[in-house]
Amino acid sequence: MKLEEHGHAKARSRRKCRERILLYLVVIAVAIVFLFPLYIVVTSAFKPAIDMFSRPPSWVFKPTLKNFVDLFTLRRFHENLRNSVVVALGSTFISVGVGCFAAYALARLRFNWLKNVSFWILSIRMFPPISVVIPYYILMRNLGFLDTPLALITVYSTFNIPLAVWLMRGFFLEIPEDLEEAARVDGCGRLSAFFRISLPLSAPGLVVCAVFCFIFSWNEFLYAYILTSSNTMTATVAVMGFWTTEAIEWGRIMAGCMVVLLPIGVFVFASQRFLIKGLTLGSIR
Amino acid sequence: MNRARLSDVKMILLFLGPALAVLFFTTIYPLIYAAVLSFRQYNLAKPYIPRIFVGISHYVSLLSSGRFFNSLYVTFKLMALAISVELILGFALALLLTQKLRGMRVIRTLFMIPMMISPVVVGLIWLFFYYPGLGYLNYFLSFLNVGPLRWLGGPNVALYSIAIADIWQWTPFVMLGVAAGLHALPIEPFEAARIDGCSKLQTLFHVTIPLLKPVLISLFLLRSIDCFKLYDIVFVLTKGGPGTTTEVVSFYIYREGFTLWRMGYGAAASFIVLAVIVGFSTLFIRTLKAEAKR
Repeated sequence: MKLEEHGHAKARSRRKCRERILLYLVVIAVAIVFLFPLYIVVTSAFKPAIDMFSRPPSWVFKPTLKNFVDLFTLRRFHENLRNSVVVALGSTFISVGVGCFAAYALARLRFNWLKNVSFWILSIRMFPPISVVIPYYILMRNLGFLDTPLALITVYSTFNIPLAVWLMRGFFLEIPEDLEEAARVDGCGRLSAFFRISLPLSAPGLVVCAVFCFIFSWNEFLYAYILTSSNTMTATVAVMGFWTTEAIEWGRIMAGCMVVLLPIGVFVFASQRFLIKGLTLGSIR
Repeated sequence: MNRARLSDVKMILLFLGPALAVLFFTTIYPLIYAAVLSFRQYNLAKPYIPRIFVGISHYVSLLSSGRFFNSLYVTFKLMALAISVELILGFALALLLTQKLRGMRVIRTLFMIPMMISPVVVGLIWLFFYYPGLGYLNYFLSFLNVGPLRWLGGPNVALYSIAIADIWQWTPFVMLGVAAGLHALPIEPFEAARIDGCSKLQTLFHVTIPLLKPVLISLFLLRSIDCFKLYDIVFVLTKGGPGTTTEVVSFYIYREGFTLWRMGYGAAASFIVLAVIVGFSTLFIRTLKAEAKR
């Protein structure tokens, strides 16, 4: 009797083990298919031209840094990267700075019409950027902002402020109001309660918010393509530019893609916990 | 009480004021400008043409233009294709990747990378795969004795190629959303189902999916709104071609504005698109509001 039970348990655990292995195999297969494109970008960036399109593909090859060297010497890609960083930092600074104050007011004040203001701000985020590209282009042209970082900083702030407001509002709502009340009983004013209590407590939120704004600006293409030319061309536009009418410089494109990808990969690993919140505007936690 | 009121007003001015001022000048003003523009003849390439007032004639000709409706049709077709696959695949992946296995966290994190990548880079990656004569996809297909497919040049294939790139980028987003939703579900209904002797499939269809409905709806709406923003991938892969088979609505506007330089006409088209988006985003905001009430 006891022996039989033991046998059952053994069979069950064996079945469980088999299920586990099967599950692993499925997960690994899915991961291989799904991550294959990323693998190709990373390896192609280091491939010498001769291995790029060989058939059968050369899975094993002698890695070279030539693509990157070309990228930074012949194509002066660092200038594009610098433009990207300037634009992204500028718009992030404005968006988070302006956005966190607005978010605080929207989270703490209880007027009904303020709720509508929040949703109006949110709706700006949903505009397809293409729908205002024409007036923006003409405006920037008339202001003489075309091909300056200012044009892109303005545009990206427009799209980032709503995100910043909405995200920060969520973070502020999570901070219990009692903490501020306590500070105010102790004689703190509203302003100093904000600066001494709520803002420091929401520091992780600020960081997440800033990273999101930065990435959005870093990745953006449409406005960068239309509003800039040689002087302030950003990295994404520059990478596209390696595709000329004469040839597609695949080596440089792949190397450029990898450089553009790099900070994003780091960011994803560093802040995965907050990704979904940022991307769904807090509708899913 | 009176003092508190006063400080509320001050706070609104001080805290909310800057953001509202910036947003007003960067959204309302361009929109009004675009509205005015949409009633005018304005060709940037031909400055000698007077910018005359043309009334609603841009709108009339848009609404009778086959090409504009084609672009709307293409957008909706792409939406249906991409979003349905993303939802189903993302759901399945969420079920798979929330299993408790060692190393799953790393895999989940790796899966998140595509959706944070610049869409231009995604386009270039897939261009590399589709590229006629050289791409990897046709190479793999040759093992199955299929192809070579004209991924970007085939009028019946090109839109699917774009959809594949979009699916690759955004399925993880659905996956993450569903996984977060699954994580937040109460445990009791599942126990009840287990006690009632439901099979795994029955539990999935009668418990999990109904409970996740709000999450799925908001993911669907967010993806729909994003589909109208799709521009970069089309720009890289097909430029709207072959013919107009992949000319999504954002590309149509781009073409009107920046290859034909017909600013007024393009602005009118943007307004019609904006009206469609407002519909979707109103729905989304309504679900958000309902969520906030609960």
